[in-house]
Order: sequence, then structure tokens, then C-alpha cells
Amino acid sequence: MYDLAIIGGGPGGYVAAIRGAQHGLKVIVVEKGSLGGTCLNRGCVSTKCFIHDGKTLEAAKTSQVIMGTGTLLIDPGKMVARKRQVVKTLVGGLGRIMESQGIEVVQGKGELIAPGRIRVGMTGGSIKEYEARHVILATGSKPAVPSFIEVDGHYIQTTDEALDSEDVPGKLAIIGGGVIGLEMACIYRILGCEVIILELLSDIIINEEAEIRRAMRILMEQRGVKVNLNTEVREVVAHDGKVEITYENDTGRSQTLEGDRVLVATGRTPVLEGIDAGRLGLNTKGPFIKINDRFETNLPGVYAVGDVVGGMMLAHKASAQGEAVVAHILGGRKEVKPELIPRCTWGFSEIGSVGITEEEANAKGLPIKVGKFQYMNSAAAQAMEDVTGLVKIIGNSETGEILGAHIIGAHATDLIGEVGMAMTMESAVEDLAEAVRPHPTLSETVMEAAMDWSDLAIDSPKKSR
Amino acid sequence: MATEVVVPMLGITVEKGTIVEWLKSEGDLVEKGEIIFIVETEKVTTEVESPASGILAKIIVPVGVEVPVLTLAAVITEPGEELPAEYATRAIEGPPGKAKVKTQGEQAPVSTTPPQTPATPTGSIEAVPAARKLAQEKGIDLKTVSGTGPGGIIVIHDVEAALKPRVEPAVKVSTLARKLAEKEGIPLEGIEGTGIRGRIMQDDLRRAAEEKAAHGLGKVVQMNSMRKVIARRMAESAVNAPHIYFFTDVWMEPILDFRQDILPDFEKKFGLRPSVNDFLIKAVALNILDFPILNATLKGEEIHILPEVNICLAVALPEGLMVPAIANADKVGLAGIIQQRKDLVQRARSGKLSMDELERGTFTISSLTQYDITYFTAILNPPQSGILTVGKTRDELAMVDGEVEVKKVSTFGLSVDHRIIDGAVAADFLQNLKWKLERPSFTFLTV
Repeated sequence: MYDLAIIGGGPGGYVAAIRGAQHGLKVIVVEKGSLGGTCLNRGCVSTKCFIHDGKTLEAAKTSQVIMGTGTLLIDPGKMVARKRQVVKTLVGGLGRIMESQGIEVVQGKGELIAPGRIRVGMTGGSIKEYEARHVILATGSKPAVPSFIEVDGHYIQTTDEALDSEDVPGKLAIIGGGVIGLEMACIYRILGCEVIILELLSDIIINEEAEIRRAMRILMEQRGVKVNLNTEVREVVAHDGKVEITYENDTGRSQTLEGDRVLVATGRTPVLEGIDAGRLGLNTKGPFIKINDRFETNLPGVYAVGDVVGGMMLAHKASAQGEAVVAHILGGRKEVKPELIPRCTWGFSEIGSVGITEEEANAKGLPIKVGKFQYMNSAAAQAMEDVTGLVKIIGNSETGEILGAHIIGAHATDLIGEVGMAMTMESAVEDLAEAVRPHPTLSETVMEAAMDWSDLAIDSPKKSR
Repeated sequence: MATEVVVPMLGITVEKGTIVEWLKSEGDLVEKGEIIFIVETEKVTTEVESPASGILAKIIVPVGVEVPVLTLAAVITEPGEELPAEYATRAIEGPPGKAKVKTQGEQAPVSTTPPQTPATPTGSIEAVPAARKLAQEKGIDLKTVSGTGPGGIIVIHDVEAALKPRVEPAVKVSTLARKLAEKEGIPLEGIEGTGIRGRIMQDDLRRAAEEKAAHGLGKVVQMNSMRKVIARRMAESAVNAPHIYFFTDVWMEPILDFRQDILPDFEKKFGLRPSVNDFLIKAVALNILDFPILNATLKGEEIHILPEVNICLAVALPEGLMVPAIANADKVGLAGIIQQRKDLVQRARSGKLSMDELERGTFTISSLTQYDITYFTAILNPPQSGILTVGKTRDELAMVDGEVEVKKVSTFGLSVDHRIIDGAVAADFLQNLKWKLERPSFTFLTV
């Protein structure tokens, strides 16, 4: 009998496992693939490797000082190999951490047969059953593909296949202008591919701050990525080494696009293999598992965290929930507030955001003030030759509460962490302005935006109001 | 604009009052409704609320001086506003020889550097020699030391305490929680912080506020100013005035029928609906004219029989109880009583009663007819000497001319201050009231 059995060894599951083991629980983790889940193996970490490679190339190409003859280019094979090495290092490291904590990791497909009972179809073919007082479902998600599209793995891919492909198509159509679509567009464009994004909605990364979205759209157009908004894809057919996409734009006119490959980036759907909700009587919410604010499903002793419960499908949200669920299992209490979870996008520029947008704040009728700072005015950004960027902070004008922060620019995803920290500590915007930042660093941009919130920015020209 | 704070009217019989404590010092921020000083009269001690928000710019009446009511006690200015010149020189001398450092109008400035000359003994600061010596050695100004010895004398321990750096218990609180606490006036002390290392977060304050609002066991509830006044006055009454209690059953049908009889005509003429309580107030007021001692108050060794009959009516409010008084209930007509009652109850609920309306009462009626309470005793509302209680009207079997009949009956209780009212007098009063209520057409003949 285990204290805790976890199905899924991704960022939700492995964090819960380690935290549980640290508190003396006897933990077993069932993982069908590699530890680390989508994030480490088929998602964020992989794309971060590629983005880094791509940006290194771009920086070298656009440098005013790097000289020499010959052509700089990326070898896609080496790029994928480097990524595999990074993933291998991290997965191996994770395995050793789990081992050091005394966590039993079982390789196989986990199935919840009843509360407290798990069956594992071992990779070797045998079947084993385990009993545990508490079960956490952390099975994650997989790419969601519209029913009319058939993924063949070569001409029609999802990120699962794309991140392991060593060949670069000449012309790529990406269906979906969300975070994943944007990242992939950036990677492929830098690799020299002609990229077209087809987005159903009226804008890319629709949940982000309008000003930031606009900046990102401009950046993408500058780099030659074509973005088609309000575009509904009707049909995707592969034939004769080409892919034909039929779509309708907002005028209702049907159009056809021919490319070498299609990447389907239309969101993600929960992995429920091994969790027969109907038979178990498990409550769901749309396609996702339904939980209460203590991460409990309706089945006794069965919890769920991460992508499988929906909401923000982010690795760090899953990890935060993984920590919190263990706190609940141990009889404590820990909340994961969505408004405190940072969101990140890596593309031609980074976007880091946390909390609500200006539009959302206004819709809520909150009294707000906005502070901004342009990277252009940052000494560090100038030194880095990376001056396109903006920090925007939205605060309650009466209480100083930080309602949201939105950053586009170099290292935006690193910078947003400190705003998340300030919000978690319930600091006011003035606190963000108060802490002294090292100079010259990008961290000053957050401080300056916070100062601007009080109309006291130092490194920006006086505003004409 | 500067706001004047006066020593309030403390009841018709009160002409003078003494401020016994200033809860705020000059220069302090005060909120409207916040208690700023406590005034004592021969009758009661009353907490006086600030009439405005701002800075307590000048205290004019110091502690310990008896002044006529309505004397200008202090001036409140708006933040940033200069004290108007006409107030600058206004001052009332403190009582000679009684001055205590802490309660002086102007506070001694806290010196950050040791005084050049050693603190010299002065008549107004009492300290034991050892304390004085230590203070001198360490350069502590005795004016800044509060004494805890007998009679407030400064002992060596007090000087030692003053020497220690003042370490405020650091309440760890998030910026937003601190702002919320300031805005909502929630004290941070005693709030359990659920943040990292016990940091108080906004949710902790909200939870604390909710718990405060919720009913339940095992918690500490701060008394509001009304509750404090009630607590003090009830204790004062229970301790000082020996109570005796009398009960009688009043046959209620006559007064109920009488009311029904006159209701249509009365409404037509006055546009008002008299309640049974209104008849009761009037009957009690008339009864007091027959027994003036029930309208008396004890002052030292004198019994003061008050010139007006002002009947207090208890009004239950969420925060506690208010007992505004209907003035001259013996003289005004029934319509006048109804108008006063309606107006007072309404203003009691909206918190707009004047001090006079609250303090002028000479006799109280406490009615629980809405409850399933047969009878009850009451604590006198000081400095009054009598309080009448009325229980529910119930059906009772009674022998009338050898026949069993159902009668509507209510048990009336009377509590009196036995120091000045004898049992026989109290019994007569109650019996006479019963007689009046059971014969309404005669009682209210001229009303």
C-alpha cells in the first residue's frame, strides 16, 4: 500500500511526487513515456532550444560588428540532436532526483480502476496492480486536432512530430495563432521557411494585452511571416508531396493555399487514456477532469492537477498545483491563484505577462492607472542591441494593487517572474518601484514602468498629458 | 474648515462636565465618529465622538477642569489647514497641583538628544530618587517617562523601560493587506497570517473580518462604543443602585378595546395610529404625576425630583440598545407622543439622535411584548430610579362572578432604586398604573 500514487510524470506529477516524498509519503509514479512530460520531452524545453539556436543565428547575422565571409546557417539535424541531448540530460537528472527521494517510478500505462487502485500495463507487457491511499491524476494533454484533419506525421504534423523532424519544409502553413503557433512560426522562419499563420480568431495570442499583441504582429510581419486572421480552415489534404488547405476568410470567400507542410497548433486536449470517466463515475468539465478548490475529483482520494484539469495549460501551473495538492493531502491548504500564474510566449520577441489586461480591468470597472517603459530607454537593451520592447503595468489607482503586467522584449519571460513575486507578496506598484535594481540591466525596465505608474519615471521623457 | 468640538449637552439636569481623559493628543489624526475624549458629570461618564475627520489641532479644555456644557473643548482642522488665529490663544488652565505629564494638553516633545542640563526635580513630576538618579545619568527626560508606581510615581523600572529601544512587535503584513487594514480600520494585532512565515495577507484580513461578522464561539469581539457605554452604565447601575422588583398582571382587554374604539376617529383627526405602547407611555407619565418620587434621581445625599417627565423607550438596534426619551410625556397629547416616538425610533435607527434625546429620560419602559416572554426584570437606566417592564399579552383563565373566563393578561414588572423608593411606594405605583390601564376611558379622559 502506497500513500500516494501518481499517474503521469510530467511537471504536475513529478513535482507532487517529490514534494510528497519530502514529507515522508511513500510515493509511486506511473509514466508511460519519459519523465518530464510534454514540457520536457515534446514542448517548452524543446522549443526553447530551437528558439535559442535561431536567435543566436539572427543575432550573429544582424550584428553590426561580426564580420567575415561565408554564410551563417543552422544545420537542422544538429539542432534537433542538441535538443535531444538537452532533453536527455534533464530527463536523466530528473530520474536521479526521483531516485534520491526514494520515489518508485514505474514505466507503463497507468489506469485508474477504482479509487485507490491502479493497474499498470508495463512497458514489458505484464500487468501489475497497485494500491494507494491517494491518487493524483496528472496525465497531461496532447495536441488537439480538428476532426476533419488527419495527421500523417510528415505532411500534416502536430508539435509532437515537428519537434523531432530534421527536415525543413519550404513553405509551412500553421493552423492556429496561439502561443504554440507563434513559437513554431519563429523557429521555422529563422530556418528559412516561408510561414503562413491561419488564425480563426480576430487576433493572435488573443488573451494577451492588446498593445503587446499588436507589437508582436508587427514583429512577425517585419520578419515576413504572413498572418491571416478571422480565417477558418475547412479542409486539409495531402497529395503529390504537397498539402492543400482550403479556408474561408471573414468575407466568406473560400480560398486555397498550397504548401509543403501543415502544422496543426489548435490547442491541446486532455489525455484520458486509462481514466474511464464513465465507468468510474468521474465528473468532468467539458473534456477535462472536474476538481474542486482542493484539487479533489468527485472520487474519494482521487485528485487531478495540470493540463488534464484544463484552465491555463502551462507547465508551471501544473507544478504549482502539484505542490498544492500534496499540501492538501497532508492536511494543509495551499491555493494556486490563476491571476498569479505568469504566461510566456517565445517568438521573434518574448512576451511575459501575469494578471489581467487593461481591457479586462476596465471591463471589471476597476479604477486603474497604467505605467509603461520602453526598452529603447534602457541602457541594458541598447547595449544588447535589442531595443524593441515594452513593459506595461496595470495597477489599481486607489490601492496600488498590481492587477497585471505585460512585457514584450528580450528576457520578458524572465522579467515577469519578479512581478509575479511582487503580486504573490501582495506588494503594491510602489513596491516594484522602490526596490533598487542593478544597472545596467533589463530588470530596471520593470522598476521604471512602476515609477511611471506614479508619473515618476527617471529614464523616460516627461509625458505630455 | 476648522471644526469646533464642544463639551456636549449631557442631559437637561447637567450643566457642567469634566474631561477625565483625552484619548487623542494635539496633532493626532482623528476620524469622524472616533472617540476623542471622555467627559464625566455627576450623572454619567460619556465618551465623546469627533464631529469631523481631520487633525486635532488644539485642545482647549484640559483634563480635570470642570467646565459648563457647550464649552469649546478642542478644534479640529483639515489636514494642511492652519489653526485659525482666533483659537491660537484660547486656553483653559489645568487644575493646580494635579497636573500629570501624560494628560497635559500639550505633550512634552520627545527629545532625541540628551538634555544639556540634568533633569531637575520639579514639583509636577514624581519619581523615586533612584529613578531620578538613573534618568540623570542616562540623560532621560523624566517628562517622557510614564510612571507605574503607586499614584503614578516614576520608579526605577520605568526609567529602565524608557532606556530600552522601543521595539514594536513587528507585525509582518503585505503592502496591500496593510492598506486594506487602514482603509477598513481592522486592527492587525491578533490576526493570524497565512503567508510565508506568518505574513498577514489580504485574505487573512478578509477572513478575520468575516469571522468577526459571523456568529460563533471561541473568538474575541471588540466592543463598539455603544456596547462600551451600555456595559459601563449597566454595571454602574447594578452596583450602585440596590434594585427591588414588583410584578402584577394587567388585564389588557380594556386598553386593547379602547384603542380599537378610538382608532378610526383618531386616525381621521390626526393621521396617526396610536400603538398600545403610546397609551402605555401616556399612562406611565400620568402615573408619575401621582408618584413624583418615581421621577427622581439620587445626587449625593439629596433626592432630586426632576421637573420634567421624559419617558424613555428602548429601541433595539443591531449594535445594541438605545433609549431615547419622549419629552414631557405627561403634558403632550397622545398625538404628540406618537409623533415623538416615531421620529425618535427612526432617528435612533439612522444614528441621528442628539445627546439630549438620549440623556434627558427620567423613567424607562422596556417592552418585550413581541417575544414569548411572560415577565422579566430590568436594570435601572442610571441615574433614573424606575423602569417598567412589559411581557407578552397572553390568555389566562380567570374567575369572573363565579364563571371561568378567558382574559387577556400581561405581566408588568417594576424595578426601582430601593435607596430612595420604598417597597410600598413602588407597589402603589404599579397598582395605580394597573388601575389606570384597566380603566382607559377615565384615564385618558382629557388626553
